[in-house]
Amino acid sequence: MKKIFQHPPRDTNPTLWRTQGEKEHTPEFAEGLAREFTAEATAQDQESGMSRRNFVRLMGAATALTGLGLTGCRRPEAHLVPFAKSAEWTIPGKFLYYASSMPTPLGAVPLTITTSDGRPTKIEGNPLHPINAGLSNGSTDVFAQASILDLYDPARSKAISYDSATVARADLDTFLAKVRATAAGNQGEGLAIMTGSESSPTVDRLHSELLTQFPKMLWVEDEAISSSEADAAFDAVFGAGYRPFHDYEKADVILALDSDFLNPSASGLGSARGFAKRRDPNQAMNRLYVVENHFSLTGGMADHRIRVRASEIGEFTAALAKVIAKKTGDSDLSALVAPLRGNGGKFDLAWIAGVAEDLIAAKGKGIIVAGTQQPVQVQGLVLGINKALDNLGSTISVVQTLAKSPTAKDTFLTLAEKIKAGEVKTLLILGGNPIYTVPVRFNFSNLLARVPETLHLSLFADETSKVTHWHVPAAHYLESWGDARSVDGTICSVQPMILPLWNGISQVEILAALAGEKVDGPSAIRTSFNGYSKDGSDAAWQGFLRNGFADGTAWPLSKPSFNQSAAIALVQVHSPSPGDFELVFLRSSSVDDGRYAGNSWLQETPDFVTKLTWDNAALFSPSDAAKLGIKDGDMVKLSSGNRSVEIAALVAQGHADGSISAALGYGRRGVSHVMENVGFDVYPLRYNAFYCFHTGVKVEKLAKPPYVFAATQEHQNMEGRNIAREGTLDRFRKEPEFASRMDGESPPPVSIYPNPPLTSDLQWGISMDLNTCIGCNACLVACQAENNIPVVGKDQVRRGRDMAWIRIDRWFASADHSQENLAMIPMAIMCQQCENAPCEAVCPANATVHSEDGLNLMAYNRCIGTRYCANNCPWKVRRFNYFDYNDRPLDELYYGPLAPKGMADSLKMVKNPNVTVRMRGVMEKCTFCIQRIEEAKIARSVKAGASDVTKTPMPAFKTACQQACPSQSIVFGNINDPASAVSKLKADPRTYTSLSYLNTRPRVTYLARIRNPNPAMPGADMVGAANRSPEHA
Amino acid sequence: MSTLTTNAEAVTNAPDLEVLARPPQVLNNRNPHWVTGAVCSIVEGRTPLWWWIGFAISATFAGIGGACILYMIVTGVGVWGSNSPCFWAWDITNFIFWVSMAHAGSMISALLFLTRQKWSISIARVSEAMTVFAIMCAGVYPAIHIGRVWFVWFLFPVPNSYGMWPNFSSPLLWDVFAVTSYLTVSSLFWFAGMIPDLSVLRDRATTKIRKFCYGLFSLGWLGTARQWRHYEMMYVLLAGITSVLVVTVTTIVSSDCATSVVPGWHATIFPFYFMVGAVYSGSAAILTLLIPLRLAYPQLKDLITPSQLDKVCKLLLLMGSCVAYVYVIEIFNAWYSGNAFEKGAFWERFHGIAAWYPITCLSINLIVPQLFWFKKVRHCLPLVFVLAILCNVGMWFERFMIVTTSLIHDFLPSSWHDFHASIVDILTATGTVGIFFTLFLLFIRFVPVINMSELKAVLPGSQPDHPTGGEGH
Repeated sequence: MKKIFQHPPRDTNPTLWRTQGEKEHTPEFAEGLAREFTAEATAQDQESGMSRRNFVRLMGAATALTGLGLTGCRRPEAHLVPFAKSAEWTIPGKFLYYASSMPTPLGAVPLTITTSDGRPTKIEGNPLHPINAGLSNGSTDVFAQASILDLYDPARSKAISYDSATVARADLDTFLAKVRATAAGNQGEGLAIMTGSESSPTVDRLHSELLTQFPKMLWVEDEAISSSEADAAFDAVFGAGYRPFHDYEKADVILALDSDFLNPSASGLGSARGFAKRRDPNQAMNRLYVVENHFSLTGGMADHRIRVRASEIGEFTAALAKVIAKKTGDSDLSALVAPLRGNGGKFDLAWIAGVAEDLIAAKGKGIIVAGTQQPVQVQGLVLGINKALDNLGSTISVVQTLAKSPTAKDTFLTLAEKIKAGEVKTLLILGGNPIYTVPVRFNFSNLLARVPETLHLSLFADETSKVTHWHVPAAHYLESWGDARSVDGTICSVQPMILPLWNGISQVEILAALAGEKVDGPSAIRTSFNGYSKDGSDAAWQGFLRNGFADGTAWPLSKPSFNQSAAIALVQVHSPSPGDFELVFLRSSSVDDGRYAGNSWLQETPDFVTKLTWDNAALFSPSDAAKLGIKDGDMVKLSSGNRSVEIAALVAQGHADGSISAALGYGRRGVSHVMENVGFDVYPLRYNAFYCFHTGVKVEKLAKPPYVFAATQEHQNMEGRNIAREGTLDRFRKEPEFASRMDGESPPPVSIYPNPPLTSDLQWGISMDLNTCIGCNACLVACQAENNIPVVGKDQVRRGRDMAWIRIDRWFASADHSQENLAMIPMAIMCQQCENAPCEAVCPANATVHSEDGLNLMAYNRCIGTRYCANNCPWKVRRFNYFDYNDRPLDELYYGPLAPKGMADSLKMVKNPNVTVRMRGVMEKCTFCIQRIEEAKIARSVKAGASDVTKTPMPAFKTACQQACPSQSIVFGNINDPASAVSKLKADPRTYTSLSYLNTRPRVTYLARIRNPNPAMPGADMVGAANRSPEHA
Repeated sequence: MSTLTTNAEAVTNAPDLEVLARPPQVLNNRNPHWVTGAVCSIVEGRTPLWWWIGFAISATFAGIGGACILYMIVTGVGVWGSNSPCFWAWDITNFIFWVSMAHAGSMISALLFLTRQKWSISIARVSEAMTVFAIMCAGVYPAIHIGRVWFVWFLFPVPNSYGMWPNFSSPLLWDVFAVTSYLTVSSLFWFAGMIPDLSVLRDRATTKIRKFCYGLFSLGWLGTARQWRHYEMMYVLLAGITSVLVVTVTTIVSSDCATSVVPGWHATIFPFYFMVGAVYSGSAAILTLLIPLRLAYPQLKDLITPSQLDKVCKLLLLMGSCVAYVYVIEIFNAWYSGNAFEKGAFWERFHGIAAWYPITCLSINLIVPQLFWFKKVRHCLPLVFVLAILCNVGMWFERFMIVTTSLIHDFLPSSWHDFHASIVDILTATGTVGIFFTLFLLFIRFVPVINMSELKAVLPGSQPDHPTGGEGH
């Protein structure tokens, strides 16, 4: 409201004047009177964009806001943007579930994916899929559970680049068109494509399409941990493309030779389930013999285990084969073993004789299985023994897998030769990280430099991307269309749950562009589907997407044929002699071959056996360590030829002498923040990428300060406390309740505190079967994903501040203190939800209280962090937020407010919206997935409506750990309902409560482990004796 | 006070039996005037150089400690070395250490006052000051050791609209009441005892500021018979309440441990254990303070006599022997219980890398107090000073042993994890020592360190039937 000052009327000819203009009363002067400022000043104001009035207005407003509005005390304003138009099917706040699958070299993992408001938040197994038959929960492995974090990893590559300069998508399309044009001109000469060995029908279809168009093209499959040796043996003995299928459910006696077949992330899903079904001591129980150099999960489940160096497995197998040949008189097997000579290995002959007898007795009902990275000689012998024992065709069938690959694929060796010969002009590396994984002797970066055009498609701008001209960010499997075969051959769909976050491109898109096929959404997948499906209708396609797999596409089982002469040829190839030390390369339980090194959930998941996080180590047997003067954390130099690796040593219980094991996949640098300073790279010592071991390794202890590991369990010995309980089958039959009787005499269970009333009709409990729990960690990562559990980093794990709500304690027990009779028992521990909870009584703020359905609740808002509850928890399952783990960079935790605050936006998307993200200073712990319980209770109430809610059945739901378990050893449910699975299991005589004398009345009970020793074996009386001598166990 | 003096007949009626004669509370036959001058001169004289140096050092430590606490509050409890399973470590160790140390002061000033032990009169004021400052140091920890300090009010039964109400079955809540009531009562008791002396300082004041300040705190004390009558009534009542607290506070603190299920904590001997340990460490602390104080102000040598210090040493010996008994019986019980977890807790306590805490603790606390059986030791004050400091070091290790070694070796060996203190732990602890000495130095400068009025009442001359017949009044 500008006020115009009215000047008094003036004389036409004034006697006093200040300017000539005023005297003459020119129009300029008249205008000037009406103005507040001169025209020049106004123009200046407008130029600066800030008028005096505006300035004063703003200053006033600012003063008012700072002084009166107290904006300094308010949280920054944030806006919620509602859907302008809601997507169909969605109910806000409700999850949507889609079937999909995760392609892996071991076979696709069929999945059900939980999405919340359009973003995937949780991964579960697909219970409909045939490999999960009989598993009501579906099942997943640790890698599938953690893969969701990779999707949101802020370190993922976000742009296409050419020679490190960002380029547009159009440039890539031009490049691919040029490659196609060149290939069309010369039949694909000079074009090479390198992929991983995930099996996808669409990739196979495009592969054959490309071969038709460009017959001279080179197609290479390469995996860092390959099964080439086993595959070569199967091709020779069974015929090209035939692969064995082991039915562990049918096997009475199993002999695993350096094979970790129970580990779902090393051998695919399904084996553990079949095996677990035969571990019920109330039915015919199987027996497992394991021969291995280091403790694997399978070794931990063994009834009898013997330590043999990985490079001597061949000799061991030969010795066994000779015994079996002699005892059975099988002429084929005799012919097979006749030319074999020993290499000087010394084995426990009684052990071999015992196994041989048992295998012969279980003729046709046994399985001998060798690790896929054992040399062809071992593979040939194992097949020969299985044949002699009539296991082929009964417990072992074969499947024809040729359908998966149109032509024989070349190996990396061919590629290397061709590059050396200058025959490769364009190399497209679609997945994998060969610079990191290919044996050093090939000097792959030099080879790549000879190729004029190189392209690398990967999730991260990794070691290989740095040396290729093109780098293309790959689409994660959760953001791309695809298909994949699971371990049984069933074709699974891969559906995008979200649009590519950072413009990733899938392998299929690149191959289709090369083949000249236009890709529009799922069109390439649909084309393949129409090809292999009998019914190409839209309805069938919808069914394929809805169920996540195409029914009836599993490879049919058939009886194997056996090519004796080929088998004889195989066994002529001797495995190398071990030398001083052999080095065994392990598949890491956390990062696989290194591909998951950027995944912080996995990095912080402890190794199954060593319990190391964020590191690998060189594992030495206790006697070797004593001989070499090595203690945990000592730095050693492992050398072979002119290559050497410096690595920290760890003394590993149950490890074979003369053997060193180290996990692959660590020691990566310069890719993502998570991978920095994590472990030691042992790839440089690999010579033959197909064997799991390298012989003739020299060890030198270095005079360096010891390395500090971050282990989640430092004490391996139960100290005579009957925590994990086990017995033999005999003992169980004589005294079924032996486990609960181990408690001995207890004081009468009297509590001086009044217990909260348990009034609900629903009373939750868990029964955990130690007999089938293989300790595979799937539950750990499932829990982490479900419950928004933060990662704390290596330094904090070293300080004992890891946050896992469920952990797997791994116990070693040996009744006679010998390494020979050492047994391993994994035991999953989560909050025991005590009815008479010691934590509740001591909390001064009432932050942990009991619910009427028997849950020990944690009210984060009330928690002030006295930590008394955690001190008073006998199981130490409570976790304290010592820092703002969610909100501060893990390497700047100690900077406090000086560190940047907040997490990457993409990482916020992975959080479960139904679970609070905890701040620093509060205690947290397992809640039995209360968000799932409440969701089910609400659904029940809705269903019940006006009727009696207690008479309405609860909808089926599971806790996250239960749902992930591949062997169904965690069973959760209502213990008030006598018909529930958990009630039935709790009635099992094997049930016991850990630390029962404390009278806390835990809701989690354990089923004791039963081992099934063969009395004829040496050390049979030491099996199942973990609790035998309380003073010295 | 006059009622008390009649009880001194035992001394006065047997002047010829030198052996049975109780040693005088004030040496060299000093008269009341001298006593007043000797005590008041400390406050009224120039501030000595050593005081400034001591104050600068202790205030610096206190400041660093305060900075550490601030850093801890803005960053997280993780800046300490605490971990899982050792969720409590230096925080609760220091809390128990300080709160226990306080007890000897209350015992000497209140319990011995009630039982008419005249030897305690001249050391009571220093002991009470030690008590109050030690509780202040102890009180630092429960307030700040929690994860979310800004919600510390959840611990108090404050009516509020959040529906927050504390859990009265939690021993931590008992601690809150025990420590706050102890601080309140012992501060009142200390202050009440000072009122007549403050009025003396007021009357002697030479500046207006001093007169005003001491006048304010002496609450208009005139020393009339009526005032004395009321005053003594109140003083006896406060002494009675304080005496109860001497026993209750540390036993309540011990229930933090005793009511838990942790092996090594869960024992019925804990209240007694903490109680005797408390008086033991407190006696040592009093000796540590008194001996240098006598050295700094030689006039106090006549007032704080070797025979009084000798009695404190005997108290220390008695309590030290009780502590030794508890150590032995605790280990015996662990073995005798047949409980694998109890046995394990004690076995592990003396094995492994954490073994040096209990070994330090035991070797000091079992051996050092036993040296006080010897009169020569008790009367060699430099040696007593060194031994007293050692006793407190031993007691700190005892508290640390109880808190950490039990936690780090609990039920499941899989959760065992060693504790390592962080620099913030250490600087916060030295910070509380700094706070303690800062307060104590201020106390020396501004408050009469000896209860003059009470002491004058037991001077030989103040007793009418004394051979000197009240000479000097």
